[in-house]
Amino acid sequence: MKRFENLSRWVSAPLWLALLAVVLTACGGTKESGDTGSTPAGVPTVLLEVPTDPTVSFSLWFKFGSIHDPSGKEGLAALTGSMVAAGATEKHSYPEILDKLYPLASSYEVRVDKEMTTLTGRAHVDNLELFVELLTDAVLSPAFEQGDFDRLKSNQLNSLKTQLRFADDEELGKAALRDFIYRDTANAHPVAGTVAGVESLTLEDVKQFYQRHFNKNNVTLGLGGGFDQALVERMQASLAQLPDGEPSGSVAIEPAAIEGRRVRLVQKPGADASISFGFPIDLKRGERELYALWVANSWLGEHRNTSSHLFQVIRELRGLNYGDYSYIEAFPEGGRRQMPPVNVARRHQIFEVWIRTLPNAQAIFALRAALREVDKLVQDGMSEDDFELTRSFMTKYHLHFAPTTENRLGYRIDDSFYGIEGKGHLARFAEVLPTLTLEEVNAAIRKHWQVDRLKIAIVTGEAEALEQTLAQNEPTPISYESPKSPEILEEDKEISTYPLGIAEGGIETVAVEDIFQE
Amino acid sequence: MNISFSCRAILGLSALALTLSMPTALQAQERFFPYESHSETLDNGLSVVLIPMESGGLLSYWTLVRTGARDEVEPGRTGFAHFFEHMMFRGTEKYPAEKFNEIITRIGASSNAYTTDDFTAYHLDIAAGDLETVMDLESDRFQNLSYSKAVFQTEAGAVYGEYRKNRASPFFTIYEGMRQAAFDEHTYGHTAMGYVQDIQGMPQLFDYSLGFFDRFYRPDNSILMIVGDLEVGPTMEMIKKYYGSWKSGYQSPEITPEPEQKAERRIEVSYEGSSLPIVWLAYKSPAFDPADKSLAAADLLCDLAFGETSTLYNKLVLEEQLVELLDSGTNMNRDPSVIDVYTRVKDPANVERVLQEIDQAIAAIVENPPSAEELEKVQKRRKYSFLMALDAASNVASMMARILAVSGELKTVDTYFTTMSEVAPEDIQEAARTYFDSQRRTVAVLKGAQ
Repeated sequence: MKRFENLSRWVSAPLWLALLAVVLTACGGTKESGDTGSTPAGVPTVLLEVPTDPTVSFSLWFKFGSIHDPSGKEGLAALTGSMVAAGATEKHSYPEILDKLYPLASSYEVRVDKEMTTLTGRAHVDNLELFVELLTDAVLSPAFEQGDFDRLKSNQLNSLKTQLRFADDEELGKAALRDFIYRDTANAHPVAGTVAGVESLTLEDVKQFYQRHFNKNNVTLGLGGGFDQALVERMQASLAQLPDGEPSGSVAIEPAAIEGRRVRLVQKPGADASISFGFPIDLKRGERELYALWVANSWLGEHRNTSSHLFQVIRELRGLNYGDYSYIEAFPEGGRRQMPPVNVARRHQIFEVWIRTLPNAQAIFALRAALREVDKLVQDGMSEDDFELTRSFMTKYHLHFAPTTENRLGYRIDDSFYGIEGKGHLARFAEVLPTLTLEEVNAAIRKHWQVDRLKIAIVTGEAEALEQTLAQNEPTPISYESPKSPEILEEDKEISTYPLGIAEGGIETVAVEDIFQE
Repeated sequence: MNISFSCRAILGLSALALTLSMPTALQAQERFFPYESHSETLDNGLSVVLIPMESGGLLSYWTLVRTGARDEVEPGRTGFAHFFEHMMFRGTEKYPAEKFNEIITRIGASSNAYTTDDFTAYHLDIAAGDLETVMDLESDRFQNLSYSKAVFQTEAGAVYGEYRKNRASPFFTIYEGMRQAAFDEHTYGHTAMGYVQDIQGMPQLFDYSLGFFDRFYRPDNSILMIVGDLEVGPTMEMIKKYYGSWKSGYQSPEITPEPEQKAERRIEVSYEGSSLPIVWLAYKSPAFDPADKSLAAADLLCDLAFGETSTLYNKLVLEEQLVELLDSGTNMNRDPSVIDVYTRVKDPANVERVLQEIDQAIAAIVENPPSAEELEKVQKRRKYSFLMALDAASNVASMMARILAVSGELKTVDTYFTTMSEVAPEDIQEAARTYFDSQRRTVAVLKGAQ
């Protein structure tokens, strides 16, 4: 674990935090109240009052995401979001906007995800007047200048062609898995799109997408911190100036049923192995079964946590890699964050196991070890001891998820996405947790998890060799530089011959320079 | 025993509001950090910093060992401080790793650690009611760490895995190359990760690891910081109970100073993947001193010359769009270090042009200092952004870790911001002359496979 810090970063906190900080969280104890509703003005609101907070957090949630990219124009939602958040308005050039925001130490950013888009920002109450003016101006009156379009389109292309493909094998593996699972649906491509899709985008495409999706019937206003009613009304009145239009609506996402175990190898010369596998699950926040499965998942693979069982089996006992985790909700940029992100709410979720980078020679052994552990969990369920320990862990661990007003507002917005009313997801989880039973958890495991129909993505520099091992179900015995206990060595024998069970013809290879091309 | 106690009221977020509302000129040095704090040094040399603040019943618990990559002075030992950080999770006789993990899990703590050039940090976010449980665990492992050779060798695989994941990043690759080129003698020449050949040799260093713990993991080389819902008196009593028996005996390594650089160095760093060219300039700079106005001026100059409202940013990023990003920063280090300027160039053919533009931006400041208005904007931004980030106990602790580890005391925050507020336009001009000298810089260019 390491990080790079410098003095300028230290005193320029927002950048510093964005780039470097391990986000640590907690449910704040300051007096606050939350409310979700709408007024005659029409724009729904999510309000989180924290009177002692001298800042105000803003979140404008638009109900579109990359699943709304037109076919052949993959990346359009992301580019449109960037044009709004990082481009000129009719009143100000982009350099003028930066200049005005600079002394406030404030900014607004866009996060376009698969099924939602949020424009967020935070300002001190001393600076609200100017910040609100700039934020509303960005949403209501983007100038769509050619220069901004060229700059942001170029950045987005590079994020696909060099960043995703070459600069982070682990994120590449996860993106390759989602693309594999959701093939031929609008949910397949990364939020940034495809190379061909982005290359095809025109400024006119962006303008049309903005007209279609940035409308007053498609937005929810979120405010948190030390705001007053006058600000609520002012923001609502501003957003009511957005054009009339239809909500973005749902998009049919129906991935093909997975037959057996199928593998996608991403051949990247010189790469070690980064592995992800999983399958779609049909569960959403607010449902009791999700909380039951959350307990099971926490035991199996709590993110960046030594309590993860997969972490114990693959890293701690055997030292094969840096970490091994599992997920039942989307967790993008997992290598750069400790706690779950907000505003990546999705109706289409997958169960996902992430095996971090390891030598190619040990890749299939690690894959077998992880599959075997999931298999055992599905067959045997959790033990009473593991259930009680994990429940105890989660009772307090979830308190670290949302320490700041910004975080808590993010959760409230996500609650609205999922239709959770009242106190919200984290509070509901805290209420449900003590009432869960081991039987419920094990029933949820059996109902939602299995190991016979799943997809596997492996970024590797040795695709050909791995393909043969996978296809032939070759044993993968392992040796260590350090002595291991007889128990581990005995278990290794089982792991090394655990049936891979790859479906016939179920292995495909794509060159890294071709993935996400179109 | 040194004791200092600040009598500030617990103002929490209200204090933040008050401080931000004060005109710059009225912000006296002792009032900048908005929270109450208590600093005390135990008889064994352990520095303790407590920051009580409203935090919803949570605490952030940090142990800072003032040993990092800087202390890896022996040949073949680069990366060992980081490797040892991993070993600190391998248990004691009283609390073997399995038991340690079970307790941490049962109390729902968020636990992690990281290693930098100057220090190693171990941190947990916990419920306030679990303070004594955690203090028992933490004080035990820092005094009584115990692991087998087999466990030691197993952990080497995890560290190698960490290196393998990092090496896919072009920024990690150029940073590693730049550091190696910029320093001939000083240990800042290698990253906290260490050289790959040294990482591969780590399984053979079991005996060395025992000596490493003995030399560096001592109270007189460590700082305990706790932030959040706590009472100073009872907490101090608890700390003395659990940490009082920790034996002092820190052995400071002999770190070879870096000779003065007298000529520019240029290197090309190859990257096996596809990447836009990255250009990284490292200008030699002094060790961090919060009272050093010239260093504070250099820090502000980074924003003025390369920040997102600078003329150069406007030209290279927004107008001509020759580069995708441009950033810079001074480093807060115990020994003389470097000021970084880095950019990602869209077309390899424009690398030299971009370097010229950077030189011209510095020359422009040498020629004409910024206006008072421009400087005031940067100073104001720094203060707002710093204070706005102190919005949760965990964030406060995270923000304070480096300044405590490097300077040893919390009042450095106030000193530094006071110094920064006194910087005048001519100081910026002088900093440009003094520090942004091309003869004292290293220029690294990363070129990826096409």
